[in-house]
Amino acid sequence: MTGYTTDEPIYALATPFSPSALAVVRTSGNDSIALVSSVFKGRLKDRPSSSAVHGWIVDKEGKKVDEVVAVVYGRGHGYTGEEAVEIMCHGSLPVIRKVSSTLEEAGFRRALKGEFTYRAFIHGRMDLTEAEAVEELVSAKGERSREDALSRLSGSIRKEAEKARDEIVQILASLEVQLDYGEDEIPEEWIFPKERVEGIIERLERIRSTYSSSRLYSQGAKVVLAGRTNAGKSSLFNALLKENRAIVSDTEGTTRDYIEAQVEMEGIPVRLFDTAGLRDSGDDIEKEGIRRSEELMDSADLVVYVLSPEDEKIEEKRDRTIFVHSKSDIAESEGISFSSLTGDGISSVVEAIVSYLTKESRGAEDVPVIESERQERKLGETVEALKEAEQNSNESVDIIALFFQSALSSLSELTGETTSDDILEVLFSSFCLGK
Amino acid sequence: MIVMRDYEAIVIGGGHAGLEAALALSREGFDTLMVTQSLDAIGRMSCNPAIGGLAKGNLVREIDALGGEMGHLIDASMIQYRILNRSRGPAVQAPRAQADKFTYSRLAKETCEREKKLNLFMDTVVDFIIEEEKGRRKIIGVVTERGWHITAKVVVLTTGTFMEGKIFIGEYDAPCGRLGESAAIGLGKKLREYGFNVGRMKTGTPARVRESSLDYDELEVQDGDEEMMPFSFDYEKIERPLRRCWITYTNEETHRIIRENMHRSPLYGGKIVGKGPRYCPSIEDKVMRFPDRERHQIFVEPEGIGTEEMYLNGLSSSLPEEVQHRFIRTLPGLRHCEIMRPAYAVEYDYLDPLDLKPSLESKILDNLFVAGQTNGTSGYEEAAAQGLMAGINAAQRLKGEKSVVLGRTDAYIGVLIDDLVTKGTKEPYRMFTSRAEYRLSLRHDNSDQRLTKIGYEAGLASKEKMERLEEKIKAMDEVKDLLKREKREGKNCLQLLSQPENDIESLMVPGLEKFSRSILSEVQLDVKYSGYLKRQDSEAERVKRQEAILIPEDFDYDKVDGLSSESREKFKAIRPHSIGQAGRISGVRVSDVAILSVAVKGRNND
Repeated sequence: MTGYTTDEPIYALATPFSPSALAVVRTSGNDSIALVSSVFKGRLKDRPSSSAVHGWIVDKEGKKVDEVVAVVYGRGHGYTGEEAVEIMCHGSLPVIRKVSSTLEEAGFRRALKGEFTYRAFIHGRMDLTEAEAVEELVSAKGERSREDALSRLSGSIRKEAEKARDEIVQILASLEVQLDYGEDEIPEEWIFPKERVEGIIERLERIRSTYSSSRLYSQGAKVVLAGRTNAGKSSLFNALLKENRAIVSDTEGTTRDYIEAQVEMEGIPVRLFDTAGLRDSGDDIEKEGIRRSEELMDSADLVVYVLSPEDEKIEEKRDRTIFVHSKSDIAESEGISFSSLTGDGISSVVEAIVSYLTKESRGAEDVPVIESERQERKLGETVEALKEAEQNSNESVDIIALFFQSALSSLSELTGETTSDDILEVLFSSFCLGK
Repeated sequence: MIVMRDYEAIVIGGGHAGLEAALALSREGFDTLMVTQSLDAIGRMSCNPAIGGLAKGNLVREIDALGGEMGHLIDASMIQYRILNRSRGPAVQAPRAQADKFTYSRLAKETCEREKKLNLFMDTVVDFIIEEEKGRRKIIGVVTERGWHITAKVVVLTTGTFMEGKIFIGEYDAPCGRLGESAAIGLGKKLREYGFNVGRMKTGTPARVRESSLDYDELEVQDGDEEMMPFSFDYEKIERPLRRCWITYTNEETHRIIRENMHRSPLYGGKIVGKGPRYCPSIEDKVMRFPDRERHQIFVEPEGIGTEEMYLNGLSSSLPEEVQHRFIRTLPGLRHCEIMRPAYAVEYDYLDPLDLKPSLESKILDNLFVAGQTNGTSGYEEAAAQGLMAGINAAQRLKGEKSVVLGRTDAYIGVLIDDLVTKGTKEPYRMFTSRAEYRLSLRHDNSDQRLTKIGYEAGLASKEKMERLEEKIKAMDEVKDLLKREKREGKNCLQLLSQPENDIESLMVPGLEKFSRSILSEVQLDVKYSGYLKRQDSEAERVKRQEAILIPEDFDYDKVDGLSSESREKFKAIRPHSIGQAGRISGVRVSDVAILSVAVKGRNND
């Protein structure tokens, strides 16, 4: 954390440095409001916390830089917990640059990466889990991903983990009492609470399984359109791009190779590939193109296989593949069909793609989504330890306790420390002890 | 003012803590004076007539391994022996022995008298002599009730339940540390003036009934193990007479009488302010807190040989005597019993253990070491363990050497002291197996392997003790060698032994006959637990890394940006010696420990 300080006035661009309609520049530190006021036309001082003020950023000479909305935060209110101003300006690069340099002239230092989060953490505005979520929020790619990261800010993942932890503490207390008191005082034999343990495992596994789906939202998927030549792949490709109107880039591949584009489908960032048609060909270059198509299909998260009415029906089932029927304006087909010409059915293709990509996370709708690899690993360790406890249920109590302790300590890294006093607390309140 | 000659060390108190401290200091060659209110009460067992038990038995064996006395005393006075929790795992089982408490106490005094360097003196300490130097205060002696001024370089304070002690039986109360024995009045007040954080704690003891008045046909027998095993590592066998214990139960009638008279308890009336132990509740507590329980188990235990007094384990109370008489006589076997001593509660001063360094030296007064119940613990074993460590560290101070601090991974004693000085305690602290994270390696039978070398290097454990340990390790290595060399179906017997279905005796490896059963069983446990120990070790790694980040003694917590004020105050009060210890302070936020560790690392790098 070298270089991080607190209270010193800093600023940073909170939105990506790329042309967009709006950008947000954030400041934090002592006297933020006064400092911004010196380059702001409008009244910022003596406003209640969180109020938005319309005005202009002006430079030293009083020249208007941009028309903005500024939100002021008193100490203890904003993101970092320090006095702060958030400035919403226009999102063109020259404006962003000019607003930044004006703030520097006003006395703000450019923040280091992660410094805002550091300050929020230092001032007790968030715990470690939350700090991690912010990290991911900043780097999140799609909309849905941003929402997931936001939902964790409320500490919902912690709540879930705490539920599981409390259950493990209960089990551990029932074990520990056997180790703390002799068989003359606690004669009952301990019985492995199989159902309870499996319940916890199931719960944790559900939280954990959201990891892969949330990776989908933050890191995206690779979808390849395939099919015979003239099946209608390219038309579908263009239709999908048009439908989603979110072309980030499109790259022309080498001749008769493939075309790639970035689109967003219901919040999932998708890298969409249009490939060379598959057919037996004597042409060496075309052969190479087909080889590359096949390579792409092998590495894809999903292959959308386009069949035209002229194609023979394909009976075989293929992994990671859905079949769609083109040219529905010419001939009716069973299953998913579309017409690139009329636009009919394109949305059902999108639906099918999204539904395929998200199917792993289904059934996990009422549990929060995790994104950090560390959290996933800790949940994995917890589950592993619980399973080991189950496998060792014939061992003596001291050994079984070891696995539950291990589970607890992994989980505690997500929920905060559980001490032996916490366990004794449960133990004393649930058992009548003492000679 | 009468001035007695100067000593190197003074130990205040002759209970289980005091006698270990006094013996450790004098055995290390220091001129030591034990000042006690009663020479007849050295090593007296105020409450239950037993030593050991789960976790406590480990403490006793650790005390012995370090060169302490408790193991010898119980070995020479036990009248019943039992290994507890055999079925619940070898790593957590522990020995407990019923003691002949009169023999125990007599032997304790005799042992003290045998030490040439140890002087015994009967008087009550009422004040300290304090010297101030460069803003630091240090203790240089004590003042007694009869006006003696005695000086010394180090002082160990072990007051048990006697400092401003007060006993309660219903509406009756008296200034006593034990029934019939005067409290030590005056010192508690002085310590408050000197700035010690003094609090009140409470404990209790049940009634004693006469053996010949019991109806034995209504009692269940509770026998111990057939074979007695020594707590001490200094010998293999002991021969002692056996006595039985008995079991009976309370019933609805008992509970009804207790409930109807609850208002007469000094605890419920608010007369007692001190906090009592939850793990050892009075019968009133049990009846009130667990109203659905139809009965509670009561153990009837002999107080010794040559006495008819029997201890009613599980029936401690502070209700008025006539109520006690009525409810005790509702229990089967006790319907016609003669009650010889009443149950009573005792409330006493203790000093906040958060004011102690891990060496048990006071942070408030240099050269003062504090041990036993004075630090808010309960139990003979907990007291003895602290007394021993306070004695060892007072001796280290006299020698000018650095203190001996046992870690949580080394010993139950390490856990005990770390808990006290890091977390403090709100109720009388008792050692529990569950408090020890690394308990699988803290077995009672390997205490010598863990600690004897430390005791020997500190100058307390004898050369013979060290040699016995070396022989034992050699023998264990030989056994492991024999097992390794013997092959069965492509596997050696060491590997076979690690499988759950095999045990060392059924493997019938030639050559093992000549080794003692304890050696064989220890090897077996080492082998069987090795896989799990590895797992425990990996858990310990993380903790050890934090333990290794030391916080300088003069670290300025006010200069650390971003600490919550609550945590900052706790850090300043406790002054943890490492990030590990800082993390164990209760109520400190994880984020504050993270901030502290960044700040400490930053400073250490400067």
